[in-house]
Amino acid sequence: MENNQQDSFLQMNLDYDGGNILRETVRWSRFLSIVGIVVLSICLLGFIMAGKYLIPAFSRLMPGVENIENLAGALIMGVILVFVAIFGFLVYMLYRFSVLIRKGIEHQDQIVFAEGMKCLKLYFLVSGILAVLTLLGNLLSLTKLF
Amino acid sequence: MENQQIPTDSSSLDNFFNISFDEATRGQIRKAAQWARICALCTFIGYGVSLIVTFFGRQTELTETESGIQITSAYRAGAILGSLLVVGIGVWIYYFLYRFAISTAKGMDTMDSIKTNEGFDSLRRFFKIVGILLIIGFSLFMLIMLLSLLR
Repeated sequence: MENNQQDSFLQMNLDYDGGNILRETVRWSRFLSIVGIVVLSICLLGFIMAGKYLIPAFSRLMPGVENIENLAGALIMGVILVFVAIFGFLVYMLYRFSVLIRKGIEHQDQIVFAEGMKCLKLYFLVSGILAVLTLLGNLLSLTKLF
Repeated sequence: MENQQIPTDSSSLDNFFNISFDEATRGQIRKAAQWARICALCTFIGYGVSLIVTFFGRQTELTETESGIQITSAYRAGAILGSLLVVGIGVWIYYFLYRFAISTAKGMDTMDSIKTNEGFDSLRRFFKIVGILLIIGFSLFMLIMLLSLLR
């Protein structure tokens, strides 16, 4: 009994303003995620179509591997796949966040709402790690410059 | 009395109250806010680094002639202006992400729905500004493509 009272006391409900704010937030985040998915698909399609010309061009830039065409191609393919996987995961998480939060509010489903917030956490976790890595790269370039 | 309408079903206003921020959800939001803050802070520091590089970085002179120096100084002024614009817009956008992180974390810790709403409002502004800038950028890109095709 006491535990139940404590649980209900510790809970905070989503009010009308909060619900409206979240609805508009997910509208914009869905737009961004759809644009991200489209851009990523165009980039991937462009690479597949132009890959025949891009791989020899890139392999010429790498000294030592220019003669081993398959290795250079595999390296470039690997880098592009990692890039697509990371950004694909990011836009997918943003999309899932918008879909789940909207569904959670509309159907008043607590579990779906919590799942949506988990997607937001994963989105910011990956973004944060990428931001830290980018900052490290910037700092490294700073040391080279001076 | 007859004209009075009695609401039969619950309004959409009441529907929001069925969603609660339980311990698990609050934990997820707290983590999201924590990583959003890291993301915003790293971006601010990155902008600072890029400004330092732009202002104090080693410059390479094209030639030693007067025209060469003029081109170099014009290029440098353009680079400074461009980076100031990019950093200004970037700081403005990421300030909202930082506010989301701070307000939401505080709201979750103190169970304050006003702070939580403020935080989510900042996240809404962050996504909205990024979306609008994306639309503007895409429109400009299409315009440039169209103009270059017409030439």
